[in-house]
Amino acid sequence: MFDAETLKKDLEDRKAWERSFKKRYLKSFENKTHSGIPVKSVYSPSDILDFDLKKCPSPGNYPYTRGIYPAQYQFQAWMNQQVHGYGQAEDTRERMDILVKEGMEGYFGNLVFNLVLDLVSQAGLDPDDPEARGKVGQVGVHISCLKDLEILFDGLPLKKVNASFIVGEPSICLLAMYILYGEGRGVPKENLRGNTMNYLLRGFNWDVAMYPPKNALKISVELIRYCSRFMPTWNTTNLSGYIIREAGASAVQELAFTLAKGMNLIETCMEAGLKPDDFVPRFGFQLGFHNDFFEDIAKYRALRRMWATINHDRYGCRNPKSLQARIHTHTCGSSLVAQQPMNNIIRATLQTFGAVLAGTNALQTSAYDEALSIPTEQAATLALRTQQIIQHESGVTKVSDPLAGSYYLERLTDEMEKSAYKILDTIEGMGGFIKAYETGWLREQIAEEALKWRHRLDSVEEVIVGLNRYQEEGEKVEVPHFHVDEKIEQRAIERIQEYRKNRDQGKCQEALNRLRKVAVKVEQGNRHYFLMEALIDAYRAKATLGETMSILKEILGYGYAY
Amino acid sequence: MAEGTTNQAKEEYGRSGQDRKIRVLLTKSRMDAHDRGIRDVAKELSNAGMEVVFTRYALPEEIVKTAIQEGSDVIGVSCSTGGHLYVTERIQDCLEKEGIKEIKVIFGGIIPDVDVPKMKERGVVGIFGPGSSVQEIIRAITE
Repeated sequence: MFDAETLKKDLEDRKAWERSFKKRYLKSFENKTHSGIPVKSVYSPSDILDFDLKKCPSPGNYPYTRGIYPAQYQFQAWMNQQVHGYGQAEDTRERMDILVKEGMEGYFGNLVFNLVLDLVSQAGLDPDDPEARGKVGQVGVHISCLKDLEILFDGLPLKKVNASFIVGEPSICLLAMYILYGEGRGVPKENLRGNTMNYLLRGFNWDVAMYPPKNALKISVELIRYCSRFMPTWNTTNLSGYIIREAGASAVQELAFTLAKGMNLIETCMEAGLKPDDFVPRFGFQLGFHNDFFEDIAKYRALRRMWATINHDRYGCRNPKSLQARIHTHTCGSSLVAQQPMNNIIRATLQTFGAVLAGTNALQTSAYDEALSIPTEQAATLALRTQQIIQHESGVTKVSDPLAGSYYLERLTDEMEKSAYKILDTIEGMGGFIKAYETGWLREQIAEEALKWRHRLDSVEEVIVGLNRYQEEGEKVEVPHFHVDEKIEQRAIERIQEYRKNRDQGKCQEALNRLRKVAVKVEQGNRHYFLMEALIDAYRAKATLGETMSILKEILGYGYAY
Repeated sequence: MAEGTTNQAKEEYGRSGQDRKIRVLLTKSRMDAHDRGIRDVAKELSNAGMEVVFTRYALPEEIVKTAIQEGSDVIGVSCSTGGHLYVTERIQDCLEKEGIKEIKVIFGGIIPDVDVPKMKERGVVGIFGPGSSVQEIIRAITE
């Protein structure tokens, strides 16, 4: 990249720098990124001797280090994929309308709704289940029957809607319900757009009951198999690094573990007879953006490069879309602090700004009050405004991957990549991702890192303003808390009981029986059935989420990972 | 650096002069994925010298049942997703039904300030939200 003359000058310049440094300071500085990668005080051309334009071509070219599209934000900014959801469908719809009114936008002026479901729906339960007490609609929208979707999307131009359902095990159920809802609105499934999470091997970072790994994969493959045949534009699977990060992993671990799970899922789909170029294009990523600004930016660039290279070299992908990592960013909730909550506005702003510099394709900016409750309307709007200000006022959207060529960032991108490959090798060495998962190795790695971080906070080695330094004496600042009305629970119970009453019970039972049969076949690895179709039929016969999920849990198994 | 927290926790526990290991049952709803805090607390309490059991529950009734089986001195519930008032009520109901007075109940997680007095009134001896230290938790347990 540099000629001999320049490099010679660089070395001389470095020596001069070292001399002036030593003259002025008594000690040298030793710094590390959040992940523990050593960093120097300054970088120069000699740090990127192996810089290769082939690995870092202009945006839109393989291996996409600098972005998956030739233009980053010049034609189209990132999606404002703000997470929302609480109470019943009608409560969330209110919030959806507010956010749309305030300018929340998908690509090319389309609508985008990134809907988080409550824990009761996440667990696949109806609201009248005893386990649901106290949890209905508290931290997400409660959806347990078709009627809920009808209320949620009533009157919206469905063809222009990008709908994401943030839910784990019931991913396939929600998509089945949404397909059925689209059918009723006259929108065929081919025209539905959106996203299912559909990645269910989360036991190492998401501590809830779930399907055992082998069967979890079968369900994920079912959704992918159905969509690659019937819904080619639906984004089937979200490979989330964000939840790994929030559980305590470092940025490098997030990068490596996320790729490892993606690779495992690709391999599982291939074993099930699918061709990578038919389904990989519809995998997407969700990354967290935490406090170490440059490290997280480097992580995005490394991920895009690694995903492209691995899919090209290892899985023989040739469809460019299989090689392009679409990335949604979630600013990290674990970086937010309950003390002096207004400071969180600044944190989320920096993280949002970083994600934009890293070329994210979609963005969720956390609201400042998330360490206290789910966001108030005002806090949710402010989070959206954060994105809008960066988009329209900062000028950063004019140039793609503006940090490329920075000695530091290019070097750090390479270092992240190297460290992540090392972890991938370790996982392979222990017998693959499933082994690493089942033995609890992944879980341990994250727990260790989480505790290390906490100790760094306790010892103030890592400063969090307002938490371990600059604390305020006396009265604390009061910010409004969002409170979900407990009466919502009763209303949800009444709705589901009414819903169950007003149906042809015989037909419903028949559909559920068929679902059970198909679930057994799927569990046995039989490829002649589509679980999705059986689910759609069940919801058509007015079965509820709880009824269908209880069958899946029974057939596939359900419990704690560890 | 990392040992700092653990040592302080050990000292705090040592000062309380227990004649036997305190048994702590830490638990949270099996729906609630936010385990980072409670796992840290579990590690710290056991490093400090207590006997810690960590479980998940489907129904709050199971908590008291497990506490009896384990001979727990303390029940610690982590709750970051609502429903803490309901769980408090149910735990106390079950303890009363069993005639148990000596098990201490503490909470952690995201508990809105407005609910704290209600929970304390129902017998919860300590509520440890974000920013609490392990020493504070140990003090509440040993006092």
